[in-house]
Amino acid sequence: MSIVDALIAIQNSGFARAITKSDHLVIAGLQIIHVFAFLLLLSSLVLMSLRLLGLVLQRQSLPLVTYGPTRLFWSGLSLAAISGALMFVTGTRHYFYNRAFDAKMLLLLVAVVIQLVLFRKVAVSESPSPVLATATVALSLVFWFGVAIAGRAIGFV
Amino acid sequence: MSSLIAIAESIEQSQIGVAIAESRYWWPIFEGTHLLSLSISFGLILVTDLRLVGVLLRRVPVTEVLHQLRPYVLGGFALTFISGGLVFWSEAATVMVSPLWTAKILLILLGGLNALYFEFVIARRPEVVENHTPLPSSVRYAGLASMMIWTVVIVCGRLLAYLPR
Repeated sequence: MSIVDALIAIQNSGFARAITKSDHLVIAGLQIIHVFAFLLLLSSLVLMSLRLLGLVLQRQSLPLVTYGPTRLFWSGLSLAAISGALMFVTGTRHYFYNRAFDAKMLLLLVAVVIQLVLFRKVAVSESPSPVLATATVALSLVFWFGVAIAGRAIGFV
Repeated sequence: MSSLIAIAESIEQSQIGVAIAESRYWWPIFEGTHLLSLSISFGLILVTDLRLVGVLLRRVPVTEVLHQLRPYVLGGFALTFISGGLVFWSEAATVMVSPLWTAKILLILLGGLNALYFEFVIARRPEVVENHTPLPSSVRYAGLASMMIWTVVIVCGRLLAYLPR
């Protein structure tokens, strides 16, 4: 069974059909949840980045500021992944042949690795070097906003 | 109302409106900026609101959060408004006839008034300025109201994309 066969099988499964056939509003609802989830992720990232760059809340320690937003970040990502997966199964082939979708998945993979390997550690250290903090923020912002831009582009390609 | 639609049509059919609508790049760029800038405008407002309801940054005084985030919130909103205005320029008559658009604009005004009332009345009460625990319940209500208003604004905005063009 080739990948395309598998994708067709997923798209034609009872579960995927149930979502597609139910109502336009279900897909619209999933898209809205997906957008909100990603906004949750990006807003916590923006706040943590501003603190890492020393632009806001400098009188509070880094771990104190990043504790809550970190949880918000991963909640946002989880919700985005779930709603995204549900949208994907309704149109596997549409997404599979979409170049923006390919780019989004690739960027997402790199962004998650950056977050796990680098950002997570820098964000809880008491006083990271400004160079490391700036590099971490730059990398993280570029890739996560890249994911968002590629995601938006799926609809235009 | 009909004169409003006539104005909207002339905005949409103006040289700039048509240029944006027909450009392969400008419309997606403005629309994309409008959406992504929400991570700064709506995002930092949400962070502030979550502080007001006591979910996030509980150990940072409310006034400190307000003061420190203010320039970025305002900058984010400027970006959201300008990009949104440019998108509107290219489709004024199309979106204006929808009750979703009216709801969105009215809610933006309400969200703005809520923020102003909070900033100039609630946040200036001594209990807030001196960071008492617990804070007056009006602080929580203002945060909750803000979160709900801006969420519905975004839902209206997203649904506008489904209007036939």
